[in-house]
Amino acid sequence: MKVKILSWHAVAAWTWDAHDDACGICRMAFDGCCPDCKVPGDDCPLIWGACNHAFHLHCILKWVNSQSPRPHCPMCRREWQFQA
Amino acid sequence: MLDVSRVQKELVEVAGDKVSGVSIQLLGNSLSHLQGTIDGPSGTPYEGGVFTIDIQLPSSYPFEPPKMRFITKVWHPNISSQNGAICLDILKDQWSPALTLKTALLSLQALLSTPEPKDPQDAVVAEQYLKHNNTFIATARYWTEAFAKRSSIGLHEKIQKIVEMGFSEEAARAALQSSGGDENAALEKLCVG
Repeated sequence: MKVKILSWHAVAAWTWDAHDDACGICRMAFDGCCPDCKVPGDDCPLIWGACNHAFHLHCILKWVNSQSPRPHCPMCRREWQFQA
Repeated sequence: MLDVSRVQKELVEVAGDKVSGVSIQLLGNSLSHLQGTIDGPSGTPYEGGVFTIDIQLPSSYPFEPPKMRFITKVWHPNISSQNGAICLDILKDQWSPALTLKTALLSLQALLSTPEPKDPQDAVVAEQYLKHNNTFIATARYWTEAFAKRSSIGLHEKIQKIVEMGFSEEAARAALQSSGGDENAALEKLCVG
């Protein structure tokens, strides 16, 4: 049998590999975006701490900036450092 | 600006939890002023009491802790017997945005179980706790009886009681409303209807 493909369209799915469903700060899904953003994806990225806990970048930045000089991880209270 | 969607999610979560002995009610339209209740832990002088807590959410919540204060009078070393102010580290410098209103209320419940007299909010109560513990227990129990009993609490508790008898929450609310808040009259209505 010969098949002639006339047209096709591709569908792709993506997800953050966060090992968790939702950001512990804003409680929004990791695959969604933080409350300040409209579109999930590269414009509202996730970031990991040295302790391996993930948050929306925008959420953890708000927390870190409000906690100078020694911010700690909201989940485990270890000193917060961005994962290298 | 207050993270409205997070607060809404928290309220839904607490409303769906009937076993923890904590609840949160809205006061009017604002999400920044709420009212919580916790059941007094069993095996303590607060057993059988229901304690109402005033909750104010700062606009920077959850990056700053909620402001909580006991409205129900309570006799406890870490809670002011005068104005209900609470001495609890997670409501101050140990706050974390991963904590929630529910975990904070559960922490208050835990505080009722385990007073910390070395770091008092009410020095008079703390001194009594350390030096005359029996008197402390008696006073705390008396205050629970006098100020925190269920009957002194309003509509919400009555609805709960009727719901526990097997009626839906909507039906209970409607019946209580049409009978002016009288539990027995409401029950009669529900049984006849």
